[in-house]
Amino acid sequence: MAEGRDDFIIAIRSAFLNKSTKQKFSLLTLVFFSIFIIVLSNFNFKAISLTKSVIKEIVYRSSFIVSIPENFIKSSYLNINEYTNFYKEFKITKEELDQLKSENISTKIIKSENEELKSLIDGYTVTSNKILAKVIVDHESPFLRSIIINKGSKERIKIGTNIYDRSYLVGRVIEVNYTSSRVLLLTDLNSNIPVSITPGNVQAIVIGNGDKRGEIKYIKNDLINKIDDKGIAYTSGTGSIFKSGIPVGTIDLKDENEKILINFFSDFSQLKYVFAEINDFVPTTLKIEENDAAKISPNTEQIKLDLISDELQILEESNTKFLEENKELNTLTNELNRQIEALKAENNFQKKVIQKHNLDQEELEFLRLNLIYSSRCQSKKLFSTGFKVGTPEYKECIMRKGKISD
Amino acid sequence: MIRFQKKNLLYKIYTWLPILFLFISVFNEFDLNYLNIDYFSFNFPFILIFYFALKAYQRFDYFLVFLAGLFNDTVVGLPLGISSLSYILICIFATYLRNITISPNLIKDWFYFLFIISLINSINFSVLFLFFSYELDITLFIVNNFFTFLFYIVFSIFFKRYLKSLDD
Repeated sequence: MAEGRDDFIIAIRSAFLNKSTKQKFSLLTLVFFSIFIIVLSNFNFKAISLTKSVIKEIVYRSSFIVSIPENFIKSSYLNINEYTNFYKEFKITKEELDQLKSENISTKIIKSENEELKSLIDGYTVTSNKILAKVIVDHESPFLRSIIINKGSKERIKIGTNIYDRSYLVGRVIEVNYTSSRVLLLTDLNSNIPVSITPGNVQAIVIGNGDKRGEIKYIKNDLINKIDDKGIAYTSGTGSIFKSGIPVGTIDLKDENEKILINFFSDFSQLKYVFAEINDFVPTTLKIEENDAAKISPNTEQIKLDLISDELQILEESNTKFLEENKELNTLTNELNRQIEALKAENNFQKKVIQKHNLDQEELEFLRLNLIYSSRCQSKKLFSTGFKVGTPEYKECIMRKGKISD
Repeated sequence: MIRFQKKNLLYKIYTWLPILFLFISVFNEFDLNYLNIDYFSFNFPFILIFYFALKAYQRFDYFLVFLAGLFNDTVVGLPLGISSLSYILICIFATYLRNITISPNLIKDWFYFLFIISLINSINFSVLFLFFSYELDITLFIVNNFFTFLFYIVFSIFFKRYLKSLDD
């Protein structure tokens, strides 16, 4: 018994303390090192943060270099897929673009009005400047969803900076280094987004499900029925974590577990470039005085007029386009009418041929039966029971196979 | 069969392959996640570290394993030191198993590996959840644990061949 315990202790001691010739440190030392680093990284000393930042910069760049071959294979595969669907997507995109152009004009008008009103209420104007950032590391950890971008405090990125893919929300910055930052994606379990759901204007919180979608939580039970399938969720701006009015995703009510899920507009596995929004608060010199208002109003009126003239131009362009399309459609209709007439004539001719064919068939049948039953139907001199040849009664008799009717 | 002249540069690189693979896997998060199979993931560094700490500890520098852990934490976004601690704990358990084993058996090693990774994943989950307030899905941990356990046997075949080619 004591021997067994000794063996156990020897094995344990050997595992922890002994180091072979090639090892620089014993395992116990490394365990202490690890624990020391875990504890130390929780303190916000300047020296520690600086060291951490340097390590992270180096590791992110190295990770980017190491990932080049894998990323090349992935992107080649995606490129091939894109080329195969290129033409179909081009047509759809063209149509969408036309529609969006006209919608953009009205959005600009609303935006300028909104900014004007906000500056009156808050006393400062938020000038947002979106900068393009490259995704340098996007390895999906099984447990955490985040990406690394190549912009950091050097470009005035702060913790909490909103990150976009086109105009869709992707996440927010949770860690900033000098030339790189970590972005927590909306799909992460630790991500909470206050949203408004339209139609119904229902307020809720979306939490990442750790996979590809988000789940709606913290919603009043009586409001659940107000939510429609395919309803749109956009940020509500509550808590000032995210700006208000940013599109997030569409509602999906078809979950087996009766959860209300959100399909995000952006595909987070395909992010190559993103936009980081840098906000600056510029104090407004605008005072609500009649004279100043008079000075400002012509300028804003001019902007609105310009926008409306742009809208008019677009409408004219689309009108001309519709007229041309209309002409083309008229010609096509005429051509089709002509084809219909030709087909009708052909149809009549074919009907006649069929009718004639039917008559011939009947005649042939009569001649065949005549050969067999003519003796029964012909009139005889002694007993006048039959009919005279050539009369309709004679024909009827032959067709009835020699039966003379009463 | 590949044969090297010893002290050749290529031979040296070949002997460093496990460490190289370990660093590539932590930099690149090699866990076949891009296959997009729901919940599927496995921890390749765990398999590699356990196998080489058990079978070829003379060629395996624990300090580099410790560094790989730090890099992994940085890439994944975990608090610094968590993965290093996990990797070093695997080394300790593997060393203990090596010390108490007289006749090695792959199946016994396999189940011992299951016990170790379950313990270490539990420690990781608890530390992240209790001390760092991370929201984590326990299902993902369990599935990751299961697949890491399954893949051990597959990778051990390749690693065995590699070690054999080194000895030849």
